[in-house]
This record gives sequence, C-alpha cells and structure tokens, in this order.
Amino acid sequence: MSAKGKQGRRSSRRWAALKDFFYGLTGYEFVRHALEMRREAESIFMIVTMGDLLGVPVLPPVYSLRLVPYVVPDIVAWKRRMAIRREFWEKDEYDLHGI
Amino acid sequence: MNTLLAVLLGAVTVYLTYTRYARAIDRRVIQSDPKKATPATLYMDGVDFMPTNRNILFGYHFKSIAAAGPIVGAIVAATLWGWLPALLWLVLGVAFIGWASDYSAIVLSVRNEGNSLSAVAYRLVTPRTRSLLFVFIFFYLLLLSGAFVGIMASVMEAQPRTHLGIIMLVLMGLLLGQMLYRWHIGLIPATVITVGVSLLAILTGHLTEGIFKSLTETLNSWNGGAPLVTYFDPTLAGFKGAEAKIMPSLLFWAIVISLFCYAGSVLPIWRMAQPVVYVGFWITALAMLLGLAGAAVGTFVKPEVSQFTIPAFAGWNPQLGPGGVMPLWPMLFVTIACGAISGWHALFGSVGTARQIENEADMLPVGAGSMLAEFLLGLLALLAISVGAKGPPVAAFANGLGKFISIWGIPLEYAVSLGFAAFIVIVLVVTQLIFRVMRVTLTEWLGEVFPPLRNQHVASLISIALAILLVLTGTWIYLWQLFGAANQLMAALSLMLVTIWLASVGKNWLYAGLPMVFMYVTTVASILVTAYNLYVNVYQPNRIAGRILPAAGSGLMVLVAILLVVAAIFIGLDGWRAFFKYWRRPASAPTAAPVRS
Repeated sequence: MSAKGKQGRRSSRRWAALKDFFYGLTGYEFVRHALEMRREAESIFMIVTMGDLLGVPVLPPVYSLRLVPYVVPDIVAWKRRMAIRREFWEKDEYDLHGI
Repeated sequence: MNTLLAVLLGAVTVYLTYTRYARAIDRRVIQSDPKKATPATLYMDGVDFMPTNRNILFGYHFKSIAAAGPIVGAIVAATLWGWLPALLWLVLGVAFIGWASDYSAIVLSVRNEGNSLSAVAYRLVTPRTRSLLFVFIFFYLLLLSGAFVGIMASVMEAQPRTHLGIIMLVLMGLLLGQMLYRWHIGLIPATVITVGVSLLAILTGHLTEGIFKSLTETLNSWNGGAPLVTYFDPTLAGFKGAEAKIMPSLLFWAIVISLFCYAGSVLPIWRMAQPVVYVGFWITALAMLLGLAGAAVGTFVKPEVSQFTIPAFAGWNPQLGPGGVMPLWPMLFVTIACGAISGWHALFGSVGTARQIENEADMLPVGAGSMLAEFLLGLLALLAISVGAKGPPVAAFANGLGKFISIWGIPLEYAVSLGFAAFIVIVLVVTQLIFRVMRVTLTEWLGEVFPPLRNQHVASLISIALAILLVLTGTWIYLWQLFGAANQLMAALSLMLVTIWLASVGKNWLYAGLPMVFMYVTTVASILVTAYNLYVNVYQPNRIAGRILPAAGSGLMVLVAILLVVAAIFIGLDGWRAFFKYWRRPASAPTAAPVRS
C-alpha cells in the first residue's frame, strides 16, 4: 500500500476512535439506561408469565405454556438475573457521574 | 509562572506516566493478556456484562468520574496553600497513586469474575468490610451534599446573573428527557435545541440580573433587613473568622436548590436526573474545552491573561479561623481528591466499567487514561483560579476561566458568565444525583431497622434535612475536607484490596501497597485535624454564643469524623491480617466465585 493510503487509513481510524469517544461521552449512557429499562420491563413480564419456575405462580400454567415458545430464549438469562445478589450501589441510581 | 508552562507540565506528566510507569506495571506486574476472556465476554447479558469498544468505554468512564470534584478541590487548595503545592500534589498524586487506583480497581474486578470491590473484600479480607463500606458511602455523600448545597446557596445569592441560566437548564433537562424517551426525537437535534437554549440563557444572564437582584432585596426586606440566623464562620475576613449572617434570600435559594434536588431524587431517572446532568455536562465541557485551549495559547495571544496572580506558596500552616490548624500535610492531600486520586472512581470502575471491558489490553487505556484525563480537568481549574482576580474562591475561578475563554474573542462579560455557569451547573446537577444516591443508601442501610425509610420521600427529605443542618454550620471548607477524607479512605481501601489480591496471587504488590500506606496514614491524620478544627473553630464559638443550629451541625460533623476514624481502624486491622496471611502463603487465598452461576 502506498504511503498516502496508509496515512488515509490511519486518519480514518483516528476519526472513528474520536467518534466512538464522543459517543461514549454523550449518547452511550442513554442507550444503557434504555436497555436497563427494557430489561426491567422484561423481568416483570417473565415473572408474571413464568413465575412458576421460581416458585411464584402468578399466571395459570395453561396460559404460561402458550407463551413458552416466545420466552424460551430468555429464560436462562432471566433466571441468572433473578439469582444474582446485587450490591446496593449497582442499581441504576448509582450511575453517579462525576464525583 | 504562566499557563503555557503549566499546560506543558500537565501534558508531559500524562505522557510519561502512561508510557513509562503505567504501561510497565501493566506488562510486568499485571501481565494483561488480550487473549484471555473477560467477564464481559464470558457472561454477556447485553446490559451489565457487555463487551464494549475501548474508545466508547473511555468516554463513558471519563464522564462518569470527572465533574465537580476536581474543580472544587483545586480552588480550595490554591486559596489555602498557594498554586505550587496544589500543582505538585496534582502531578505527583496522579502519576504515582491516582492512575494506579483506578486501573487496579478495574483489573481486580476483571480478574475476579466481574466481582465488585466489596465482594472481593468479603472473600479475601472479612465479611464486615461490606458494612463498613455503607458507613463510608453514606457519610461521603452526606458531607459532599452539605458542601455542595452550601456552596450553591451562597453563590446563587451573590450572583443573580446566573439564575436565568439555571432555571432554563432545569427546564431544558426536563424537555430533553421527554424528547428522548417519549417523543423519540434523535439525540443530536434534541441536544442542539436544549443545550443551545440553555447556553443562550446563561450568556444573557446579566440582562436579567436586575430582576433577580430586586427579588433578593425584596426577600431580605421581609424580615426588616435582619438576618434569620447568625453564626461564627472561620472562613470569613481573610480566613480570620467573623460573624456571618443567613439572610432570607440565602434560605430561599437553599430551599429552591433542595426542591430541585428532591425532584431529582424521587422522579424516574430518565425524567430528570439523567437529562439535566447531560445538558449540564455540555455547558461545563464547552467552557472547560475553550478554557483549556485558551490557557494553552494565552501566552502567545494575550500574555497578560496567562500570568499567575495568586502566591505560589501561602505557607505550611495557613491561618483558618481563630484557633485551628491547617498543615499542608495532611490537609492538602484530602482537599484535592478527584484530579489526583479518588475512591469513588474505584467503586464505580469495579462494577460499571470492569464488566464492559472487552479485552484485557483495554484496562490500561480506559482506567489509567480516564484518570489522567481527569487530572487535566483539575489542572485547568487550578490554572483558572491562579490567574483569576482576588476575591472569593468561586468568583476567582469564574473570572480566571472567563479570561481564558475571552481569548477566543468572546466579550469578557459573557465569558465570565460562562465561567460561573461552568461551575454552578456542574455542582448543581451533581448535587441532585447525590441526594438520589443518599436516598437509596439510607433505605438499603437502615430500611430494615426503620421501615419508614423505605419510602423514597421520607428517605429523600431526611437526607436533605441532614445536609441543610450541615450547611448551617457555614463552613463548607471543613465539609469539603471531611468529604475528601472519606473519599481518600475509600481509595486507600481499594488500594489495600488490590495489594492483598496481588499478594494472594504472588505478584509484586509495591506499586499499590506503598501509595495505600501513604493515603491511609494521611487520611486518618487529616480527619483528626479536621475534627479538632471543627471543635475549636466552629463548635465552641457557636456553643458559647448559644447558637443551637450551627453548634449542632458542627457537633454532628465531629461525630462523623470520629466514626470515619473508627471505621478506618477496623478496615486497617483486617487488611493487615489478611495481607500477612496471603503474603506468606499465597496459595491459601480462596478462589473467586463466578459472578453468575
């Protein structure tokens, strides 16, 4: 590759890194928070529909069974999430920026 | 001394620390391996554990650790001891301790299955470390909130030109939350509108100065011009101490700030806390960026702006109040916390950032790189106050920053408005977050024992009331120093955990162990000095004069100081025992359990 091409690739890499940095500085926290909110909503949905798996029967099993094909992919991750012991500063309120 | 030399010194510090020292530790001691799987890749769940590009993570981590802390610390330290000791501590602190603390906390978590600091402490040291962390965190937040509300109320009372900008900032923050999460407007147009309007309001703040000034006068005339509370403040009259008065206008602004913080504490995070912080971040970042660039080129463009005006060295033990002491060691090392070293960074890094590290080679640029970038923020704050005009510390900082910004052709009056806004905005938006976290901590800590604390309104109001009580002592500098001590003790604790872990895996622990000993001894000494100062300078004069509230506030601060020392002694003894146990027999350390089974 020519020296000019190498220089071009290097500068485009730097530009991409700068863009990523600004994204991390600005929009990334909104994305993370949106994901956290979605996860909370999904957790509620899962406990309502599949609560039996954790010993919390909310919905009659006949309805839960009809939903099984849709929730199967998330069951393992959801059970792990329910089982984990969270430290008190791991909650979203502890996204304390800038101290 | 001029600003160009200081900026060059900062750049050289960052370069040498990163390329010579930090990289050597990363290669030889930690031996980071890009091929080794990290918790983010092992336990990926799309939210907490998510492999993230190092540049994104660098921006995210930097924003999470850098804001009001490095600014306030540099301002207070330069005022008390002069710019030279503050500059030296910033440089040496970040080069030998600060980066090591932030980086090591991330390493510790990544190498221990994504476990947080307290989980590692539970395993390697003792289960009670977690309870002691509650004590540290709650009082850390209480002291910080007291200091920030105190600063904010007095600055807002004295600077009516800032009010319009702050009101618009809050409104624009609320609008941004609505735009992003409800109306689904893109981040870029939403940012342009909300930040643009806030900035316009800040820059034109002096146009409404008269309205807010007359409001202040009207408020103060309600009580016939008499103060609501009188107290002895050792920071007045050139730090010799004098009678201070709390006028109705100051109480009014304290209540306005409290209402704002209450709303930020109880509303959903997306509705207020997060978007207000985001808008505030842009205002401060813009001012800081213009200021840093101005400081760098000021020597060539406007040499008169770049000359330091405050003394290089104000003494080993400057006078603060009639009886207290303020020795450079240990007090300087807790007055400047963030910017040199901070315990909160370690706490945040071990859970927020470590679980997103894609590859071990990213730990150094993200952890050490962010801390070194924050050091530059602290340096800029120090430069701003060093070139600022004489006067109260915050005003001097705003004037100094305004001078740097004015280099870019912005009229000085507007630039100083932006300088004030850069400070006030970031302190204000962080204060509401602090109350939010205090509310959660209080609920988690004492909710089982006292069930009403589980109610978010009760917990928020109690947190705010405690902070206001501290504000009524009128000595935010002492509050700030106690906060710095609590913060630095957390840093010492984090370095202690790293030292114990390094000993337990048979690695060289000196790079973390020596700074830990220094920070531990310094911080405990500083708490004892501050407790003595509070007793002599604030508690006794106010008690003798029969002023109940200031005496109660300062008495509470002395109690907090004693509690912190007791907690530190317990942690130190437990850490000492654990260190010797693993140092002699490294293989005896229990292995980390996966964070997800």
